[in-house]
Amino acid sequence: MAEKWNITLVIRRQKQGQPPFDQEFKMEANPDENVIDLVERVWAFHDKTLNYAHACHHSTCGACGMRVNNVEKLTCITPVRSVVADGGTLRVDPMRNFPVISDLAVDMGELYRRMELVGHHPVNLDRKEAIQSEFRPSGPAEPGEDFIRLSDCIECGLCMSACPIVGSTGDYLGPAPLAGAHQAGVKGNPGLLELVSGVDGVWRCHSAFECTAVCPSNVDPGWRIMELRRIALAEKWKSWFSPNKSAEVRK
Amino acid sequence: MVNTRSTPKPGESTTLWFIKFITGPILLVVAFIHVVINHYVGSIGGLLSHAEVVAYYQSWYIPIMEAIFLITVISHSLIGLRGIILDLKPSMSLMRVLDWVFVLGGAGFVVYGMWLLRAVTALGGA
Amino acid sequence: MNTSPNLFARIGRWFDPRGRSLSDYGFILNRLTALGLTLYLFLHLIVLGTLAQGPDAYGVFLEVIENPIMKFGEWLVVAAVFIHGLNGIRIGMNSLGIAVPRQRETLIVVFILSAAAILFFGWKIFLG
Repeated sequence: MAEKWNITLVIRRQKQGQPPFDQEFKMEANPDENVIDLVERVWAFHDKTLNYAHACHHSTCGACGMRVNNVEKLTCITPVRSVVADGGTLRVDPMRNFPVISDLAVDMGELYRRMELVGHHPVNLDRKEAIQSEFRPSGPAEPGEDFIRLSDCIECGLCMSACPIVGSTGDYLGPAPLAGAHQAGVKGNPGLLELVSGVDGVWRCHSAFECTAVCPSNVDPGWRIMELRRIALAEKWKSWFSPNKSAEVRK
Repeated sequence: MVNTRSTPKPGESTTLWFIKFITGPILLVVAFIHVVINHYVGSIGGLLSHAEVVAYYQSWYIPIMEAIFLITVISHSLIGLRGIILDLKPSMSLMRVLDWVFVLGGAGFVVYGMWLLRAVTALGGA
Repeated sequence: MNTSPNLFARIGRWFDPRGRSLSDYGFILNRLTALGLTLYLFLHLIVLGTLAQGPDAYGVFLEVIENPIMKFGEWLVVAAVFIHGLNGIRIGMNSLGIAVPRQRETLIVVFILSAAAILFFGWKIFLG
């Protein structure tokens, strides 16, 4: 028989134009079910006006990103036992830095526009230099090996919610678009390099690495931002010492 | 997406960040020497007396080191402060004003520091 | 993106420690020490003007900083120098692509070294 815990689920509610408030739900929970299951039960059995986004339930669509006990989580892969104990209180808030549409549902449009701007493709032809060897179970790529892979980023927005700088300047491109730019490749793409090395690009990052901590897909945006910095610095260095070569690259 | 700020001067940030980056290690070394000598080896509970300060600055390389310290620390701190302000999404017009404040203020403090350095060094020759 | 129109709320967002990872504490400390050291730098430069006014003026300044509260302030400055300086090396290395997958471990090293230096200089300032 499945284990049963008694927990209190607190959900941050907000309808557009109205002040936010917290609503408590006392409920039984199987510690091995996921947080999204609890939210769905609230909708199904307690309050049909609760709004939240969800779709695949297996961490592929990136729709169910929320803050669980103040930490950004993909709720479809967040087991209840990992975030609360029997008799405890579990708090669920909408993601930060996105406009709240209703309750736990936020408007992700700006993120999608930025991902498109940097040319992020969900399916990439990645070459060995673009991937950290530690993320590949088979180890470093063989010389000359190319392979097709699905891009890790599921555009869930958790990194944009967790980043303290996105929280203070919305103009900062943010971790997901910068990681997308890195995956798309900035070498040989001067326009993209200019964008990511501009005022609102990689220099706004201050190494909090919250993006990497909350990413459910191993994209490691923090590492990708640091790689973009390295590339931007190298290109700047080249432009100082061999301006002609740099001009050729820009053409 | 509106990204107006990075478009007009895309290279500006890399250069300023590089200056902050390169001044960091210089500062670490020079600041360590400055702090230890000025605060921990003097006769007044570790602090240098006025006569000791003047004597310290008579070696030809000390004023040079302190001048390097002065320029790097002011550059590093003001570029860093500018970065913190940029994190608060200031308007372009405010940023233009602040850039002048940083340039003129920074230059002013460098001139003041150089004058002080020269004044203290000159006390030894009096 | 949807950032608060309130300036203080946006500043508060940097320093809100709830639910943050260890690396974020590195960011919080780096930012606090940066602001503290910048303030200290310019105050320090201004009061050092007493050096040019001669031994008497400088003597008054020395008496003021012998005050226990000023000593505590001096300790805070030394702590900030070590935290900011050592974490700065970590961030600089990361920005060159060095040790990024080990950024968390290097931050722990930064904290340990800073703590050791803070304790040593605390002993020097208050008991030495």
